[in-house]
Amino acid sequence: MKSATAPLEKPQAKNNYVKRLAADVKRDWDLYALLVPGILFLLLFKYAPMYGITIAFKDFNIFDGYDASPWVGWKHFAKLFNSPDFLHVFQNTVIISFLKIGILFPLPILIALLLNEIRRMLFKRAIQTVIYLPHFLSWVIVSGLFIDMLSSNGGLVNKAMGMIGMEPISFFLDNSVFRGVLITSAGWKETGWSTIVYLAAFATIDPGLYEAAKIDGAGRMKQLWHITLPGIAPIILLMFILRLGSILEAGTEQILVMYNPTVYKVSDVIGTYVYRMGLGNQDYSFTTAVGVFESVIAFTLVLAGNALSRKYLQRGIW
Amino acid sequence: MTVKTSFSEKLFNFCNYLFFILVGLTTLLPFVNLIAKSFSSEAAVISGKVNLLPIGFQTGTYMYVLKDSMFLNSLKNSILLAIVGTALGLFLTTITAYPLSRVQLRGRKWFLLMFIFTMLFSGGLIPTYLLMHNLGLVNQFPVLFLPAAINVFNMLIIKNYFEGLPDGLEESAKLDGASNIRILFSIVLPLSLPVLATIALFFAVAFWNDYFTSMIYITNQDFKPLQLYLKELLVSSSSEFLKDNVDAALNTTPQSIQAASILLATLPILMVYPFLQKYFVKGVLVGSVKG
Repeated sequence: MKSATAPLEKPQAKNNYVKRLAADVKRDWDLYALLVPGILFLLLFKYAPMYGITIAFKDFNIFDGYDASPWVGWKHFAKLFNSPDFLHVFQNTVIISFLKIGILFPLPILIALLLNEIRRMLFKRAIQTVIYLPHFLSWVIVSGLFIDMLSSNGGLVNKAMGMIGMEPISFFLDNSVFRGVLITSAGWKETGWSTIVYLAAFATIDPGLYEAAKIDGAGRMKQLWHITLPGIAPIILLMFILRLGSILEAGTEQILVMYNPTVYKVSDVIGTYVYRMGLGNQDYSFTTAVGVFESVIAFTLVLAGNALSRKYLQRGIW
Repeated sequence: MTVKTSFSEKLFNFCNYLFFILVGLTTLLPFVNLIAKSFSSEAAVISGKVNLLPIGFQTGTYMYVLKDSMFLNSLKNSILLAIVGTALGLFLTTITAYPLSRVQLRGRKWFLLMFIFTMLFSGGLIPTYLLMHNLGLVNQFPVLFLPAAINVFNMLIIKNYFEGLPDGLEESAKLDGASNIRILFSIVLPLSLPVLATIALFFAVAFWNDYFTSMIYITNQDFKPLQLYLKELLVSSSSEFLKDNVDAALNTTPQSIQAASILLATLPILMVYPFLQKYFVKGVLVGSVKG
């Protein structure tokens, strides 16, 4: 009997699935309809460029188009790994990214912890209002502000340095300090805003834990170490994995408005290189290969970060 | 023992307050300096004397900027971009977020994955540029807002907010025979004003601040938004761009003109920001931190 009914069940199940699907679509047809513009948008503006990646494997010529340009296999990737230019740019990208993660990732956590210790609500809110503000300014404006503050002719920073007897520095023209300018300005712009997520996370910690800790005689430092930090650990992890995805991004929009040929040596990163060589020199296939390299590494890092965190910390972002 | 703790706590508190006052000043002083420069006389700016207060007060710089047709045209473009972009972005992002927030939607997981994948992986600059080129969007105004109309991150914030709304409201509406679209527009959306205000602010700020898109796609002077104009103004700093144009009688310098332009471009954000702050703090919290 069993063997006789088994083959019968399958088509029936399939039938049922189709029926259920049809019933669902019929019931919620308007939900599906709402989704149509979004899906079309994705296909056109997000997935179509992914198809465009094929030109990294072709000798693309804009007049021939995608289909007529000849396939050349891994040629452009081979060129990429043998290009001293690319290796240099890759090195810059990694250095700037690591400096940014190393310094700018923990900073908002620290600021949020300190801000959380402030009991005067009015003061706290005023500080929050002020430190969120730079996030809402464009890189063009932040760059303008920094050029102004750091200029060697009447810039406030050089003046202050002069007062304590230091020589003026041309921050934007000096290879030894320019990366510092990039990191400081990125910190100035985004640190305050990045605290918002951690401040939110504090609110989700059960106040009862603090009460209990106080009764047990735990001081502020102990409460911080044993309650607050473990309480926000999942958020820290989440933010870190998300950050991994942009590890090779290094701040293209920022660097494009701040750098100049004098400091290309220390600040030309993958994104700026792709912009200059790709759109400037119209070296489409090669720079697409460079872009693909960046995307693949970033994607792998996020997947790996998530997998590792699930394995060792039993938590992931999906 | 207790006295000692309270002393160290007092010291900590004092240092903490001092620290945040310094952080606050570091954030604000660049603006104060810029305001001072924009109102100072040519001689004072050139000799680099201006600190936090204007020296040789004048308003000619602002008169110059506000009469400059290139500035005004780019300002107009940015306002139009912010309005059209925000309206379209908010609409498309919301109607996409709603179905994805409904558990009964079959295939919801796959649809979501399709959206999230684009956050992690993209075609990159050149293929995207070539697509816009093929679509005939290069040097057209819509290229500035169309490709950014759905922001997946914003969509997820709205979706999470919708999911947090009580289910009962909707069920009772359904019993009364309301369609999903009807429920969205007459029940869900009115309850979602905080998150919608937040996302509207995010869209508006993103469009207002974007220079990269216009730098890639726009060479036509007529369509340049404010940030691109500003970028060109800053890069060409002391070059002919300004020197030729500035009327000597105005008693101003390229530096002051840059300062005034930067301030005028920031003003709209400074004006809406304090009013929307309570919304966006709440909106971001609800949307992004789900425990």
